[in-house]
Amino acid sequence: MAVNRRIQKTEDLNLVPIMNLVTILIPFLIMAAQFVQLAVIDSTLPAIGTPTPSDDKPDQPPLNLSLAITDRGVTVMGADAILHPEGVPEAAEGEVRLPTIPCTSGGVCISVDDYDWDKLTAKLNLIKDEYPDEEDANVILVPDNQIHYEVIVQTMDASREDPTKPGGDGKARLLFPNVVIAGGAM
Amino acid sequence: MALNKARRSEEPASLNITSMMDMMTIILVFLLKSYGTQDISVAPSDDLVLPVSTAQKSPEIAVNVVVSKISIVVDGVPIVNLETVPDPENPGQSVLQVPEDLLNGQLIDTLLDELSKKADIAKDIGKQSGLAEHAFKGRLLIQCDKKLPFAVLRQVMYTAGQAQFSEFKFVVYKME
Repeated sequence: MAVNRRIQKTEDLNLVPIMNLVTILIPFLIMAAQFVQLAVIDSTLPAIGTPTPSDDKPDQPPLNLSLAITDRGVTVMGADAILHPEGVPEAAEGEVRLPTIPCTSGGVCISVDDYDWDKLTAKLNLIKDEYPDEEDANVILVPDNQIHYEVIVQTMDASREDPTKPGGDGKARLLFPNVVIAGGAM
Repeated sequence: MALNKARRSEEPASLNITSMMDMMTIILVFLLKSYGTQDISVAPSDDLVLPVSTAQKSPEIAVNVVVSKISIVVDGVPIVNLETVPDPENPGQSVLQVPEDLLNGQLIDTLLDELSKKADIAKDIGKQSGLAEHAFKGRLLIQCDKKLPFAVLRQVMYTAGQAQFSEFKFVVYKME
């Protein structure tokens, strides 16, 4: 009779030690948990000193790509020959020359989304086609005084790589990853 | 009936912790998934919202400069308090700037002193260890609020340049 009873009753597994273990593990893991991933963007100060003369390609002048960021848009400088093969369009009398990539609103960019980043990447793709060398990976940013930091970061993103175009090793195509932030207009 | 009641009270009451175990297991898996070790940490607040970027490079340890909406902090020590003044170019709007009396041209004197100290310490460490990997490379981690005007950033960068920091690493949130 007694034996019979023991067989019928299912024995509970003692989970209390496991609970203890898990309860200790959880605070530890919460401390080590990361909910935001951080990354860094490299940038160097503009090098001071005499530039080293390179006479490898006398037919092609060195690319001195600069991006001037203002509240009216982004102006690509140093690549007029590629962007305007038929010559730089002259601004009409009394008219301010528009930036290469004006704001999507046409006027003043208020937020970071008002800038036309896709168009900037497309233009830089054109320039990269002409200068595919790895040495020509520098871009100089010349932001205006009141330009917000996030716009500068977004410009670096737009000029670093083109995620829509595959590059050599299956990653996005690298455009101009070496960013130098110039002093801007003092 | 009476017998039944008596029998029940004889056994020690046991808590059914199976459902709690289920919950704990799920939490454990989730936390293990988000487990990570990174050299640097940010203290997000209303005054310091980092921008989001597609950059993939992971941060490494270096002297840390935080430029929030209220102050410039070097390795946890507040150095300069920023001020908000009316924007002379856009009436009705305000602009963040370093107080004029702390500026020496483009140079922020107090920040220069602090960064020079940090550079000297880093050079000493490099010299004492004698290893190339510990040598002073002039790396500076910069955390900036995304609404920071470039004028302030330029002053910080210029000052850091004068203190022999020339390799800037801008800390951003990685886009998922």
